[in-house]
Amino acid sequence: MNEASKGVGSVVYEARGLKKNYDGGQVAALRGVDFDIREGEFVAIVGPSGCGKSTLLQMLGSLDKPSEGSLSYRGRLISALEDPSDYRSTEIGFVFQSFHLLPTFTVSENVQIPMFETGLSRGEREVRAHELLVSVGLSHRLKHFPSELSGGERQRVAIARSLANRPSVLLADEPTGNLDSENAAHVVELLLKLHQELGMTLVLVTHDLGIAALATRTIRMKDGRVVDETTPLTHAS
Amino acid sequence: MTFFTVVVRGLIRRPVRTGLTLLGISIGIGAVVTLVGMSWGYEKSIGKQLDVIGIDVVVSNMSGGLMPKVFDETLQDKVAALPKVADTTTVLMLMLSIEDAPMMMVSGREWGGFTWEKLEVLEGRLPKDDKEFAVVLGKLAAEVLKKKVGDTVQIEADELPVVGIVDGHAVVENGAVILSLSVLQEISSNQGKVNFIDVRVPEGTPEKEVMELCETVNGLFPEGRAKLASEVVGTSQGYRLARAMSWSTSLLAIIVGVLGVMNTMLMTVFERTHEIGILLAVGWKRRRILYMVLCESALLGFLGGVTGVGLGALGLKILEFTPAIRGLLEPDLSPKLLLTSVAIAVVVGVVSGLYPGWRSSRLSPSRALNL
Ligand SMILES: Nc1ncnc2c1ncn2[C@@H]1O[C@H](COP(=O)(O)OP(=O)(O)OP(=O)(O)O)[C@@H](O)[C@H]1O
Ligand SMILES: [Mg+2]
Repeated sequence: MNEASKGVGSVVYEARGLKKNYDGGQVAALRGVDFDIREGEFVAIVGPSGCGKSTLLQMLGSLDKPSEGSLSYRGRLISALEDPSDYRSTEIGFVFQSFHLLPTFTVSENVQIPMFETGLSRGEREVRAHELLVSVGLSHRLKHFPSELSGGERQRVAIARSLANRPSVLLADEPTGNLDSENAAHVVELLLKLHQELGMTLVLVTHDLGIAALATRTIRMKDGRVVDETTPLTHAS
Repeated sequence: MTFFTVVVRGLIRRPVRTGLTLLGISIGIGAVVTLVGMSWGYEKSIGKQLDVIGIDVVVSNMSGGLMPKVFDETLQDKVAALPKVADTTTVLMLMLSIEDAPMMMVSGREWGGFTWEKLEVLEGRLPKDDKEFAVVLGKLAAEVLKKKVGDTVQIEADELPVVGIVDGHAVVENGAVILSLSVLQEISSNQGKVNFIDVRVPEGTPEKEVMELCETVNGLFPEGRAKLASEVVGTSQGYRLARAMSWSTSLLAIIVGVLGVMNTMLMTVFERTHEIGILLAVGWKRRRILYMVLCESALLGFLGGVTGVGLGALGLKILEFTPAIRGLLEPDLSPKLLLTSVAIAVVVGVVSGLYPGWRSSRLSPSRALNL
């Protein structure tokens, strides 16, 4: 996968004429979106509030189904997946703006939650959660509850959780939206490291153009459509 | 952390609600244990009584109420003349309110019959003859009535002296007031009437032949029935009614339990919609969500069942010592009853979890997450 992060990899996501309506067609959140996302890319999705960024990310994460058009993951239609939970648990990791940690579980337990869907033993789950939390710099917080952590720490727990089953794709919806600049920088640094060192494909929705500038490519959206795709010069090297 | 941890965590997040639900189930299961324990206990107690006395076949007309209807005692001679009959004796058994005790067995026994054999005199003596106007009390009956030898007991309109206290080696025997048949016939105006003929067959008679004997007796006594001792209780109408009532009350308790647990589980899955969305988003299968909810409600049921069995056992113990019941029956606290009750509670839990579990497993992850 390191190879992939350097050059142009195979197509991970392919969207064609992707539409999503809510409330029986009254709200058109996506009005026909086309794009390809390749292995090892870091794609930033930007655009004004309400333009459909989160909706798009939910389609990518198979949290919701498109109304029209096709979206495939590595050549297979996501809407045709027999069991999207397998895809969600092992292929992708999801990081949300509001962390979405489970309040009644400790930090370590939150990271272990996705591992129930894989065949890991209890001991293996604990060890792996520990390793992941070490890698996000939270080894001293294993037994704390989310409510006892700062926003930045919570988001790092969420990142550790998203990596629980070693996915190849990370989907992040404004992961720094609820964080102050210092914590935001820390989280971005972590995500960038995953992209660069592990070659993970990273799709990140953000309002922060500074973060978007770090991406290999930016997809700009407006009113449910892609209006522009740019590859910042900074990344050409 | 194991999956069980996840299940437990779901229950202890709302300790008060979980506690109240548990209390609800345990009261329901407690009621089941108490009622069924009483009804099984009654059956067992009578069975033990017949066994102790050594009765093989009971001839009676069970179509009455709590006690069989009386019939003419001359039937005894016809039964005694049948082949395979070793011994017979007649009994007039009445359920009467005596002094402060609302219900007591009053057993008038044919003088010289084998029903007197196993009575062990603890104090005083047995009646002198079939004419003596006197009673002996089973030791529990003496306790309940607070009587000792030399006191009198009022039966219907008559005051009868207590001449002895006996141990009959079965709760029902010990709870009875025992006197000579002819005396009871006289004071209850049942001259010439009895409601039981107890029959002994020769030792080692095969059950098939005993059943044939029953058939023959049934021919002689069309309005009544001869029953193997082991079947006697089940055919009493009063007992059937009591059993039906205990089961239907139990069923009611179970339905209330199901509704209670279902309500709790629905509340818990509604308030956890967002968290279930998270579980779906991190890749939990719908089946696992359903399983989690079912395990939670099964665990609720199990814990409620165990507590309920404790409550029920306590209830039975208390009932066993209430004067109204003391000596009438020995409640059944068999492992079978306790295990059945816990099993019922678990089933209650699982059944109650089905709908809430199904609801939560159908949630749309994106919608659940955005709540
Ligand atoms: N579940 C829903 N039901 C109805 N309308 C919805 C739903 N989800 C999103 N929408 C609508 O779809 C449009 C796109 O929403 P979306 O959340 O994708 O925007 P966004 O680009 O992520 O905005 P923001 O930057 O504020 O997060 C909005 O008009 C929104 O109101
Ligand atoms: Mg959004």
